[in-house]
Amino acid sequence: MAEYDQPPLSHPLPPEPPRAGFARGLSGAAVLAALALACAAAPLMADGSAVHRLDADPVAAALLDGRGSLSFALLAAVLGGGLGIGWALLAGLLGTLAGSRAERRTIAAAHRMAGWPLALLVPLAGGLVGPVWLLALVTALTAAPAVAALAHAELSTLMRAEFLTAARAAGLPEGEVLRRHLIPNLTRPLLAAGVLALPRVLAAESFASLLGLGLPPALGSWGASVGLAARLGDPVAFAPPALLLALALWAACAIADGVQAGQRKS
Amino acid sequence: MNHIAVHAAAKPAPVETAALTLMLGDRVLLDRANLRVERGQVLAVTGGAGSGKTALLGTLAGQLPAGVDMAGDARVDGHLLIAQGGRLAPRRPLALQVAEVVGHHLGLDLRSSLRRMADGLDRMGVPAAARRFDLPPEQLPESLRWACLFAMAVAVGPAVLLADAPAAGLDPTVRLRLLHRLADWARADGVALVLAGRPEDGVAGVADHVLTLRRGRLLPPNPPRTEPLTPLEPPGTARLHGRGVGMSYPLAAGPGGKSRSLTVLHGIDLDLRTGETLALLGETGSAKATLARSLLCLPPPTAGAVVWMGRDLMATAAPPAAGEARGDDPDRGGLRRARRDLQPLFPDPASSFDPAMTLGDQFGLVLESLRPDIPADRRDHRIDEVLEEAGLRPEAALRWPSALSVAEAAHAGLARAILSEPRVLIADEPAASLSAEERETFLDTLMTVRDRRRLSLVLATERYDEGLRDAHRGIVMLAGRVVESADAETLRTAPLHPYSRAMRAASRGERPALEGDAPSAFAQPAGCPLRRRCPLAREFCAQAIPALEEVAPGHHVACHYWDTPAEG
Repeated sequence: MAEYDQPPLSHPLPPEPPRAGFARGLSGAAVLAALALACAAAPLMADGSAVHRLDADPVAAALLDGRGSLSFALLAAVLGGGLGIGWALLAGLLGTLAGSRAERRTIAAAHRMAGWPLALLVPLAGGLVGPVWLLALVTALTAAPAVAALAHAELSTLMRAEFLTAARAAGLPEGEVLRRHLIPNLTRPLLAAGVLALPRVLAAESFASLLGLGLPPALGSWGASVGLAARLGDPVAFAPPALLLALALWAACAIADGVQAGQRKS
Repeated sequence: MNHIAVHAAAKPAPVETAALTLMLGDRVLLDRANLRVERGQVLAVTGGAGSGKTALLGTLAGQLPAGVDMAGDARVDGHLLIAQGGRLAPRRPLALQVAEVVGHHLGLDLRSSLRRMADGLDRMGVPAAARRFDLPPEQLPESLRWACLFAMAVAVGPAVLLADAPAAGLDPTVRLRLLHRLADWARADGVALVLAGRPEDGVAGVADHVLTLRRGRLLPPNPPRTEPLTPLEPPGTARLHGRGVGMSYPLAAGPGGKSRSLTVLHGIDLDLRTGETLALLGETGSAKATLARSLLCLPPPTAGAVVWMGRDLMATAAPPAAGEARGDDPDRGGLRRARRDLQPLFPDPASSFDPAMTLGDQFGLVLESLRPDIPADRRDHRIDEVLEEAGLRPEAALRWPSALSVAEAAHAGLARAILSEPRVLIADEPAASLSAEERETFLDTLMTVRDRRRLSLVLATERYDEGLRDAHRGIVMLAGRVVESADAETLRTAPLHPYSRAMRAASRGERPALEGDAPSAFAQPAGCPLRRRCPLAREFCAQAIPALEEVAPGHHVACHYWDTPAEG
């Protein structure tokens, strides 16, 4: 009791190391937000009246293209992240209901597929199928296995956590354990895994559009503009979309890294 | 030995410091220490976590750790430092690493280096069959890696060997065997050996001189407490019974789709009486932790029965059969009532708290679940009470688990365990994360709480003397079986099983009479699991697993030859 009031005998806890990746993730988020705002405001750039892509100057045209690229990437990332997380949760559920063998097989499929060059499916789909939503679904599928593998790793680490045993020792029924302990601790790692889909789908879509097999021309895309400018040999038209694409990719990767790093600190 | 002593008198000592002072920022790690280690002398420096052992050894080795300032004088001749954790590159073949170090110090080629290394391994008692130089260290067992490191030191033959936390993390019997061999070598070859380690690691036992690093001073160590804190009260009647408690885990199906399983716990019988403290003693793989968790039905054992106050816990812990209605009874089968009476202490208390809730919230949840009779507005008061009883301040309830130090987490774990006013505490290495004074403080608090509440306590530990010190009765476990059970006094003074004797020797820093390493759970030898290490082993030991037989009232031993002296 009273003995414990004296200063602790062991060394004080070391000062918390700066959270690596946090600043990077924050700047990535800021850059991406600025890009999204600039793209959204692009049609108003020339004294308030709407600008059309074909007759605009190269920077405004690139910003107009960004609307297509970014909104498609967001849609596909949400789909891909959701699919991947759903995959991981399904594996976990199968593990509970049908035994660890089914779980291992489900997630081994994700691990194998994460190693395949799935990004090649996107230009294939772009050339073969029409609707944008179908293209978004295919793009999402290319990112889902990697998300599923990571989310499942987080899930199985958490399922083995000692504090769940402690909660069961406190007599909490499984439903309560799930509600009070598992879900609050699971949200952040799963979202962090889902963010991994963003840079992947952005890269996959740009790659397909670069080949001319991505988004329809009406929507506009950085990849398509870069490809067109390269074919025409026009450096002035080439530089803005290429730079903006590089910036957006860096920002997306930085966000994913930052979220992962924040997740790993314990 | 004699001629070394003569030379030692003529020459200056290989390790000598004069008013050596080490500062970490404005904190004094070491205050004007005068240290002198002669040739052939073994010095142990013990101290708790962060007391500055590593900084001292680094300074002696001429590698001042970053951020540490040095004043005074330190002179060390031809030294070799074995750093904390061994520091072998995990993926490079061991032979190359050995050749590099030995070759660097002695200017030898690969072949001669390996030959010297083989001599060194002989002195460390590693059998020739176990020498796998072409494997990388990560594929070798931990004990072999440490034996190789020591052998490397032997091969180099420095004037001074500095070893930081040598063989830490190995089982006590294996660690002490290696340390004794290293000390023998140092004494025979006239090497000044400095060992640094935590007091509970047993480095003191092999040394000629022991110094404890405490608050910047090198002092003679305090002898550890050997008597119970307060005289033990006689226990009452048995309430918790384990009958044939067994645990097996399913493995992947074998050839032909045959289902296989690994049995780690083989039908243990056990009774725990009111107010009784039972020490479960055993090293890695003895299944003492599995037994502790089986008693709590977390998870329930796969064989046998656990009965608490006449109620079979395994039946109540089983999920309701399909088709049977769940019903509205929140305490189906009385499991929650049993959970209230039986509370665990975890080996890693910090990870047993939900990182997303403050301590107070988690304690509140425990009370809500186990003590619905306490009204919600009285819960905070109750939480403050147990925190103080466990040696924490009431404000700790507002803190997050990640903000607790290791010692505070251990005390908080104790506070949570006594929150529901249990009758039995089942502690699985509760002080494993603590060292030195923090460890003693925590164990004293645990015993005070036990005595005040007259709790029954199951204490699983690998430290023989420490576990038996406060216990009424002890059970020594090996590979999922009980090999000896007796009252604590008998086990402390006259254990009969060779494994118990080895564990007792190791806990006192003496040389354990066991050779080699414990076999893997997947490759247990036929017959007695100890026979490949045992000094008493004979041919018959391979044919039958010894049964537990009563050799004196209340004293059971499972050994074919416990009453026979060792052969040869």
